[in-house]
Amino acid sequence: MDRNKISKWLKEPGKMSQKYSLSVVYFCTGCGIIEIPPVITARWDAERFGVIPVASARHANLFMVTGYVSLKTLKAIIRTYEQMPEPKYVVGFGSCPINGGMYWDSYNTIKHLDKYIPVDGWIAGCMPRPEAIIIGVTHLWTLIDKGMAKGYVKYRKKYKYFRQNQEKLLGKLPWQPAFSTGDNNE
Amino acid sequence: MTLQLILLIGFGGAVLTYFAGKISSKLREIFAVMISLILVGMIISIYGKYSQEILTLGFLDFRIIFTLNRLSWLFAIIVSSLTFVTIVFSLSYMKGKENLNFYYMMMIFISVSMLGIVFSGTLLLFYIFWEIMSWSTFLLISYNKGKALSAGLKYVIMSIIGSTAMLIAIVSIYIKFGTLDISAISQNINIVSFNYITYILALFFIGFGVKAAVVPLHTWLPDAHSEAPSPFSAILSGILIKMGIYGFILIMYIIIGIKISLVLGTEWIKFHYVLAWLGAISILIPSFIAILQNDAKRLLAWSSIGQIGYIIVGISIGTGLGFIGGTFHLFNHAIFKALLFLCIASVEYQTRTRNLNQLGGLIKKMPITFTGVLIGGFGLIGIPLTNGFVSKWLIYKSLFDSNQYFLLFFSLIGTWAAIFYGYKIIHNIFLGQLPEKYKDIKKEPLSMKIPIIILSFTVLLFGIFPGLILKYINNLGVSIGFQKFNVSIMGISTETGMLNMLNIAFALFIAIILVYLIFKIGKKKVKINQYDNYGAGSYIPVDKYHYTTKYYDPLYRVIRPFLTDYFDKFYSWIANCVKSISDTIRKIYCGDLNYYVIYILGFLATIIVLKIGSKLW
Amino acid sequence: MVRIILLDVIVPVLSAFIIGLLFLGIFRKVVARIHWRYGPPVLQPFIDLIKFFGQKGFSHGFIFDTGIFLSIAGSIVTILFIPFAGLCALKGSGGLLVLLYLLIIAPLGMALSAGESANPNASIGISRKLILSIGYEVPFVLIILSLMFYYKTISFVEIIDAQKNFHWALFSPLFLSGISYFLILPAMLGLRPFDVASAPQEISSGGIVEYGGQYLALFHIEHALHLYIYLSLFVNLFLGGGNIFVFLIKMFVVFIIGIFIHSVFPRLRIDQAIKYLWRYPTLLALLGIILILIFK
Repeated sequence: MDRNKISKWLKEPGKMSQKYSLSVVYFCTGCGIIEIPPVITARWDAERFGVIPVASARHANLFMVTGYVSLKTLKAIIRTYEQMPEPKYVVGFGSCPINGGMYWDSYNTIKHLDKYIPVDGWIAGCMPRPEAIIIGVTHLWTLIDKGMAKGYVKYRKKYKYFRQNQEKLLGKLPWQPAFSTGDNNE
Repeated sequence: MTLQLILLIGFGGAVLTYFAGKISSKLREIFAVMISLILVGMIISIYGKYSQEILTLGFLDFRIIFTLNRLSWLFAIIVSSLTFVTIVFSLSYMKGKENLNFYYMMMIFISVSMLGIVFSGTLLLFYIFWEIMSWSTFLLISYNKGKALSAGLKYVIMSIIGSTAMLIAIVSIYIKFGTLDISAISQNINIVSFNYITYILALFFIGFGVKAAVVPLHTWLPDAHSEAPSPFSAILSGILIKMGIYGFILIMYIIIGIKISLVLGTEWIKFHYVLAWLGAISILIPSFIAILQNDAKRLLAWSSIGQIGYIIVGISIGTGLGFIGGTFHLFNHAIFKALLFLCIASVEYQTRTRNLNQLGGLIKKMPITFTGVLIGGFGLIGIPLTNGFVSKWLIYKSLFDSNQYFLLFFSLIGTWAAIFYGYKIIHNIFLGQLPEKYKDIKKEPLSMKIPIIILSFTVLLFGIFPGLILKYINNLGVSIGFQKFNVSIMGISTETGMLNMLNIAFALFIAIILVYLIFKIGKKKVKINQYDNYGAGSYIPVDKYHYTTKYYDPLYRVIRPFLTDYFDKFYSWIANCVKSISDTIRKIYCGDLNYYVIYILGFLATIIVLKIGSKLW
Repeated sequence: MVRIILLDVIVPVLSAFIIGLLFLGIFRKVVARIHWRYGPPVLQPFIDLIKFFGQKGFSHGFIFDTGIFLSIAGSIVTILFIPFAGLCALKGSGGLLVLLYLLIIAPLGMALSAGESANPNASIGISRKLILSIGYEVPFVLIILSLMFYYKTISFVEIIDAQKNFHWALFSPLFLSGISYFLILPAMLGLRPFDVASAPQEISSGGIVEYGGQYLALFHIEHALHLYIYLSLFVNLFLGGGNIFVFLIKMFVVFIIGIFIHSVFPRLRIDQAIKYLWRYPTLLALLGIILILIFK
């Protein structure tokens, strides 16, 4: 960790602060949530990396989608994602958000999370161990350093694509589009 | 000559307005506004000309004296300006109601009778105008019919009891002194004993206490202020209660004089300390009862009783600083209470309800009313930079200087209760979610905006430059006999520390600019609509999510057992006893001729037996 | 004139800001060590602050913005009234009485701002915060009264001068008031067992639930200043704050004891909190005033 290098802080404070103070929305999706308490308690302490869970989406930086995503949860995930302030990062846990995982032929879960909200990184496993989670966080740091974790910019620019996917799956959404898509009939 | 001219113009103008209304409504409104404006102008023009005007009615051997001294001018300017502002407000509030001629006539009538009270120089004239004021306010309180009628009845009965006590005191003064002139009485006060003065003071206390709503005698106020028509509630809470305080100051400091008033009572219990403690109870309990209310005007009515407690504590402590603080608080309370009542009236005009549990989110629809309530609420609590802060600071300082620990404690706790109910009004009406049915309400009309803006501006003006009024009140205190203080335009200094609004205002201003600059460091913010809230991912439906009912519920559960209004129950119980006794007595009049014959024969027989029986012994 | 501005105004405010944030960092570190883990670095709140300024916040309206400004402005003016290691900007403008008033502005500003967020969690949080405030204000007023009457003055500088050479108020007849003040200190700082106002698990952090990027940064600053104000008040009034090193050490010791209490106790419900605060500290403070009355 280059947290103590003062010259890096002076050159780009924005990136360094986004890296070393990730607040996670304490959103319990699916079965991966059972792996989060060990990460934040005493054995594999995540707070020394600056990762801390917060209670409201408006305070948060990082969204961990931990496990399978059913249709009802997808509405809540999209809503929570849109309520987070930018810049924001999404990390998918387990195999279910990547390609459907264990529930690949279920009528109620989705197969590719990438179609509905932009995802910056994946952590493979069913469920990943806490060490894997912490390594995933450090990989996210490398991505932020190189400027490759731009999921939120993609969401803003290609909002029409995401909104169409969301509406195809969930029907008419009760909330207004977050960004203007240029269409006349929303 | 000028004082009689003022009263004549006032009474004549009231009658003229009534008859002008019969011709056309526009004419009546123009007349009402013009007459109140003329009254304000005339009172401003007689500033500084302190004099007496004496008329003699030859055949009655009474003198009619009108005096203008510093105290009268202060009250006169409050009365006339608030009446003018309220009449401008009611131009649009009362559109469409019936009996409007009567309403406007009564508004001017009441204000002129109050002017008569403060200009009167004999106790007889004082009493006459006092009674006129009581009866005319009763007529206007019951303007709406229905519940307002019973509220007005309660008010007028208690007022009559108070006036009767006053009449007994006035008659007894006439017998002792032979004259009713205030100046003559105050010069010859030394000829009577202290017990007699205490007795007079107690009787006058009942009379003025009913009007000023001191704690044992306050029970008429919540009903009357909440059921009266809203612009008139502003006058009721703003000036009518202050007439009781005028009476207190008149009796204690002008007629009896401070040398005697401050030594009345026994060694351990002085009379003015009893008064101060009653004031302290008036601060504490009604302020907490105000937290429990659900009706906006009832909440403000209970808060009026609380603030009167502050004024009484300030005035009856007996030091110069306390008197200045109490009088200044009187002046300020009139302004910000009228402001609050007018803003609530404006909300009621648009949404037709005063129930705090059904409103919400009106800040976007009525921003000027919100600013009025915010500034009025801050004045009520006493945030620095508003005038309420200066007067409350002066009262606290005077309590500290006279070593009154527990009175100071009660006053400070009263301020916290004020924060609670002030925030409750702001939150339940203006902040939070806007219910669906109020989505299309319009903004306030112009004649409602002007009084609110004028009054808010006054609150802030006298908060930052309190010296403008404090100089006048300082001279008033000196003329009564208290010590002189060093007043500058922005502060007042005493021996143990000074208050300097310049420093605090400057510091707050710089601090806000600093914070704004820090805020600008961040990125540009995103505006979202009011329904886009974090609800753990769910989409919050409109109309279901404003937490208003039982807003301070945990506090209610702890303090509710202590806050039932025992005095109200006690008076109702007395009224019921009298009613049941009268019901029993009524059974004598049964209408049956046979019974009446038995009564007559029985009475005659008893008399004959008694006469003969006594002769036999 | 320049010396006044530099020393008396900028130094207390800047050091309040830095000390407050450092203490928040120390808080997280010490709690983590008590939990047998490592915890974030001590400078973590500064990193958090820079991060919050880099995020795009959401605004709900005009009062939502200006409420926080009022709150922080009130805190800054309060800091100017409290002496910091002997430096006091507004010495002669009212002292303790004005302080009791200025302490109202900060919660009120936050309450106005959080009320506009139109979230029921925020309203519940604000109602709990205000109720907790009146819970600790009743003994607090009694304590300040006993201080004012013992030293017969409302000026801070004179109270500190009277406590030179270890004649601390804690060792004089005011010791009951001192103990009572120590009992309500967790309530004022927002530590357990009295942190019901911002209960993250129950009401999604209470009043600050809708605060986005830069608003959360301002709230963080406000929290740090709040912490500094109440700690320095206790140290100045009861422990006789001396020069800068002694002052900092005293604040640190008081805060560490507060952290120890915080890590051990669970959270009290709001009506339990009020019943406790209106019983035992109030009783002690009342006994303190009666003791002063007997002594003088």
